[in-house]
Amino acid sequence: MARKPILGLFEDPNYAAEAGDALQRANILPQDYDFLTDAPYPEGAFGERHEKHRLYVFPFIGALIGLTVGIILTSMTQLAYPLTQGGKPILSLPPMAVVTYESTMLSAIIFTIIGILFESRLPKIKKGLYDTRITEGYIGVLVNVDEEQLNQVSGILTQAGAVDVVQET
Amino acid sequence: MAAGEHSHEGMWVFPAPEAVTQDMAEKAEAMPKAIARALAVTGILFALGIAGFVMRALDDGFGAHGPWGYYAAIFMFLFMVTGAAPLAAVAFRFTKSHWRRPLSRVSELFALLGVLNVIMFIPLMIVLPSIKNPEVGVEELEIRRSIWFETPIGAPLAWDFLGLLFLAICSLAILWLSAMPDMAEGRLTATGFRRKLYSLLAGRWYGTKRQWILHKVGLGLLGAFYFMLLVFVQFTVASDYAMSLVAGWKDSIFPPLFTLTSFQSSLGLILVTLFIMRRWGGYEQYIGVSPFWSASKILLGLTLLWAYHTFAFLITFWYGRLEIEQNVLKYFFFEAYGGAFAANLFFSFILPFLILLWNPVRKTDWGPTLAGLSALCGAFIFNLKTFVGAFNAGDVYAIFFEFIPGPTWPDLWDVFMVVGGLGAAAFIYLAATRLFPILSVWETKEGAKYQKMDTLVRGRYLVLAKPE
Amino acid sequence: MQEGRVLPSRQINADLLRSILNSPKWFWISVAFLAFFVLAAFSTAGFLINRGYGVTGLNNQVLWGFFITNFVFWIGISHAGVMLSAILRLSKAEWRRPATRAAEVLTVFSLMTAMLMPLIHTGRPWRTLYWIYTLPFVPYDFARGIWPNVRSPLVWDPSAVYTYLTSSILFVIIALLPDFAVLRDRTTGLSHRIYSVLAMGWQGNARQWKLQIIAGVLLSALILPVFVSVHSIVSWDFGMAVSIKSWHSTIFAPYFVVGAVHSGVSAVVFVMILLRWAYGWQDYIRLEHIDALGRLLVVVATGWFYFFVMEILFGFYGMESDELAVRNMQFMEQPWNILMFFFVGLTYFLPVGLWLTRSWRRNLWLMSIACISVNIGMWLERFLIFVPAQARKQVFTFNWYTYAPSIVEIMIIVGTFAMVTMLMLLLSRVVPLIPLYDIKEGDILKTQVQIGRRTVPATFRED
Repeated sequence: MARKPILGLFEDPNYAAEAGDALQRANILPQDYDFLTDAPYPEGAFGERHEKHRLYVFPFIGALIGLTVGIILTSMTQLAYPLTQGGKPILSLPPMAVVTYESTMLSAIIFTIIGILFESRLPKIKKGLYDTRITEGYIGVLVNVDEEQLNQVSGILTQAGAVDVVQET
Repeated sequence: MAAGEHSHEGMWVFPAPEAVTQDMAEKAEAMPKAIARALAVTGILFALGIAGFVMRALDDGFGAHGPWGYYAAIFMFLFMVTGAAPLAAVAFRFTKSHWRRPLSRVSELFALLGVLNVIMFIPLMIVLPSIKNPEVGVEELEIRRSIWFETPIGAPLAWDFLGLLFLAICSLAILWLSAMPDMAEGRLTATGFRRKLYSLLAGRWYGTKRQWILHKVGLGLLGAFYFMLLVFVQFTVASDYAMSLVAGWKDSIFPPLFTLTSFQSSLGLILVTLFIMRRWGGYEQYIGVSPFWSASKILLGLTLLWAYHTFAFLITFWYGRLEIEQNVLKYFFFEAYGGAFAANLFFSFILPFLILLWNPVRKTDWGPTLAGLSALCGAFIFNLKTFVGAFNAGDVYAIFFEFIPGPTWPDLWDVFMVVGGLGAAAFIYLAATRLFPILSVWETKEGAKYQKMDTLVRGRYLVLAKPE
Repeated sequence: MQEGRVLPSRQINADLLRSILNSPKWFWISVAFLAFFVLAAFSTAGFLINRGYGVTGLNNQVLWGFFITNFVFWIGISHAGVMLSAILRLSKAEWRRPATRAAEVLTVFSLMTAMLMPLIHTGRPWRTLYWIYTLPFVPYDFARGIWPNVRSPLVWDPSAVYTYLTSSILFVIIALLPDFAVLRDRTTGLSHRIYSVLAMGWQGNARQWKLQIIAGVLLSALILPVFVSVHSIVSWDFGMAVSIKSWHSTIFAPYFVVGAVHSGVSAVVFVMILLRWAYGWQDYIRLEHIDALGRLLVVVATGWFYFFVMEILFGFYGMESDELAVRNMQFMEQPWNILMFFFVGLTYFLPVGLWLTRSWRRNLWLMSIACISVNIGMWLERFLIFVPAQARKQVFTFNWYTYAPSIVEIMIIVGTFAMVTMLMLLLSRVVPLIPLYDIKEGDILKTQVQIGRRTVPATFRED
C-alpha cells in the first residue's frame, strides 16, 4: 500500500512533543515520524527516537588512507630525486613526518565531510513534503503513513495543537 | 526515566549542601587503616631518602655536581608536579568551570609541598657550579652561558631560591585563603587540636558579603600572581639546572616544554588523587565522572601540545645539523639517554593519546586517570633524563658540548633519594588530608546552587548557571 | 554571560539576513572603493612581473621583505577562525555563537590572500603552475625527473596551507547548510535555485541536526591540530635556516602560533565590531561577547609575551657575535629600535592596558583601537624578525645591508588589506556572517536559575 507524508506545523514545541506522544499511542512507529526544526534541540527533547550513526569511523578510515598516501608520496619522492642536502639522509624521517601529518589530517577531514553528508543522507535530490514556515520557527512533525491513515494522523496532529496540517497535493 | 537523564547518570552529582560540613569534618578526623598504613610506608620511604642523602653527602661531598644528578632529578620532578598542581584550582576557578569544584582543594593542598621543595633545593644551591669559571683552562669560557649573563647580584642561587620561597608562600596563601571559610565552619564542628588550628587560621571570618567579595578578588589576584611566578621560576630553575650545565646547549623551547610537562603531569596527579578518593575514599557522592571527563579534554590538549613542543625542538636541532645540536640530540634523545627518551615519549604522549582518543573512555573515571598516571610517569622520566644527563655532561665551562658521555646509572643512594623524595611528598600530602577537608566545602555548597536537572520540552537535562 | 533577550526565529531571520536580502546603500560604494585598491595592487603586481624585481626595495642580502612579512601576517590572521570557532565550540562557550562564522570566513579569505604573496614573490608566478598542470599529461618538472624536495620547508609550507585552506572551506560549507536552507526558503527565482542546490535538500530533522552538531565538534577537533601545524611550518621556513642568525630558534613554532592567534582573534573582534555597526546587529554581537573576547585576548597576549621574551632572551643567551649583531640592529640602531619600541608597545602594553578594565573592554572605540594596535604591532613583529636578520646575515660588516620598501611593495600590501575587506563584504551579501541556527540554538538552551531573590542566567547542557 502506498505510503504518504503528512506534515503538521506547531508554534509551541510542547505541542509538537504532545503530537509525538499521541502518534506513539496511535501505534505509529517512531521511525515513521520526524521533527523538523530550524535549530537543533537537545537530543530527546521531543521524545523522538535515538539516531544511531557511524560518523566516527570515517575520519579513521580517512586518516589511514592519508597516512599511507603521505608515506608513499614522501618516500618515493625522495627516492626518485635523491638530492643530498646539508648532510641529511636521502630518506629523512622528520620532513616526511611533516608532510605525512598534513596528508593524514587532510584525508581525515575530507572523509569526515563525506561521512557527515552520508550520515545526514544529504544531498537529498527530492526534498519531499516540507513547509518554509519551519525555518521561521515552526516545528514540523512529518509523518509517513499508509494512505488510509492520513485522516487519522491529521486529526491527531490537529488535536495536539497544530496550526496547520499540510499534505502532498 | 525521561530522555536525557540517563546520560547524566554518575556524570554529575548533586551533593546535599546541608550534610557536607559534617561529613567532611568526620572524614578529616577519622584515621582509616589504609591511610595509617600508607603514612607508615611513606614515612619509611621518607627516612630511606634522608639516609640516602646523608650517605651521598658522606661519599661524595658537595664539591662536584655530577653525583647529585638523581637528587636534582627527583627535586625537579617534585617541583614540576607539585608546583603546578595548585594551578588547576586557580585556572578552572578563573574560567568558572563548575566541574572543578571537587578538585579545587585536592589541587590546592599540594601547596604544602612547596615547603619541601624549598628545603630540598638548599643542597642543590651548594652543588651548582659558579657561573664565573674559577680556573680558566684551554678552550674554556670565562663565564659559562646562562640566563643570567653577567650574574646580577646573587644570581643564580639567590634568585632561584627566592623564587621558590615566594612560590611556596604564595601557594600557601592561596590554600589558606581558599580554606578559610571551611576552617571557620570547622571551628564549630571539629574537636581537639584541629579546633584550635581552625580557630587560629580562620581568623575573623564570618562570611559577610564583604568578606566573600574580598575572598573572591583575593583568590583571583593571588592565582594570577602565582601563575606568572610559577612560569618564571620554572624558567630560571630549569634553565640553571639543565641547559646551562651543558656547554653550548641553546634551546629556547626548553623552558616552555618544562612548564607544559608540569601542567600535564600535575593534572595527571590530581586525577589520580581524585580517582583514589572516589573509588576508595568514600567521596563518590561528591565526585562524579564530570571532573574526569572535562579534565580529560584538557589533558588530551596538553598531551598533544607536549608532543608538538618536543617535535618543534627535535626538528629544529635535527635540521640545523650543527655539531652541538647533533651532540645534544645524541646525548639526550637518541644514544646515551635514547631509551629514556623513548620511554618518555611513550608515557607522555603515545599512551595518554591512545587512551584519551576514545570518547567512551574519556567519559569514565579510570580512563583519564590512567592517562594521567602515564603522564606522571612520563614527567618522571623526563626529569631523570634531563637532569641526570645535564649534571653529568662534562665540563660546564667548555665552549661547546663536544664529547658525549654514556648514561649515568643510579647507585643505591640515588635509588634511596629518589624513592625517599616520592615518599616524603606522599607522606606530607597524606598528613595534610588529616588536617584539612580534602573537599572544598564552600565550593561544593556554592555549586549546589548553580547546578540542577531541569526539563526542556520532553527531555531532562543538566542546567548550569553562571553568575555575572 | 547571557545578557541578550530571546528573539523569535522570524526576527532572527530578518535581522541576520538583512545584509543579503536588503543590502544597504553604502554596500556597493564601499565595494567599489575597495575594488579600486585591489585593481591597483594587481596592476602593480603586473608591472612588477613585467619589469622584474628591480622595482622593489629587495636586494642581494634582504630577499624576503614586505611580501613575505605580509604573507606571514595574513597566515596569522587566518588562525583566528579555527582558534575561535574550534576551541570555543569544544569548550562549549556560549559566547562563541555570533563570532564563529565571521572568524571562519576571515580564515578562508586571509589564507587565499596570504598565498598570493609568495606567488608574487617568486617573480615568475606562472612557474608554479608547472607543479600541478602542464600539457599533455604530466607536470612540466616532473617529466624531467625533478620532484618537490620533501626536505625543504618551502615544500612543507604549501602542503600545510592548502590542507588548512581546504579544511576551512569545507568546515564553513558544512556549517552553512542549515543557513542555506533558510535562504532557500526566503528567496525566489535564480537565487532560490542556487540556494536550493547549496542547501542540498536540508530539512532540519533530528538526524541532520545531530550530525550537524557532531560535525562542528569533530571537525573542530580535527582542524585544531592542522591550524597549529600551519603557522609552525610557516615559522620553520625561517627556523630551519642556520645561516641566518636569530632565525634558528627552537621556540619559533609555538611563538609564531601564539602570535598568530593574538593577531587573528584581535582581527575577528574588530570585524565583529564593524559588522555590528554596519548591519545594526546589536542584539547579536553584544557587549558581553566583546568583553569575553577581550578577556580571552589578555590571556593570549600574555602567553605571546612570554614566548616573545623567551625568543629574545635566548637570542642573547649564546653570546655569539653574529647573532648579537642582529640584536644590536633590532634594539640599538635607528629606525629599527623605534620600530621595535612601537612593536612591543602596540602588540602588548597598549592593548592589554585597555583590556584590563571591564568598562574599557565594553567600549567599542577602545576595543577597536586595541585590536588595530595589535595588528599593526604583529605586522611589525614579522618585519623585525625577518629583515634585520637578513641584513646582518654576512660575517663581514661591509656586506651588511638594509632594506626600505618601494612604492610597488607598499601598493601591493595595501591592496591585500582592501582585498580581504572586499571579499568579506561581498560574502556578507550572499551568506549570513552570523550563523542563524547557532543563535537560535543559544536561545533554545537559555534558561534561568533562581537563587534567593536573584535570577541567574543558565544554560541547558547535553553533557
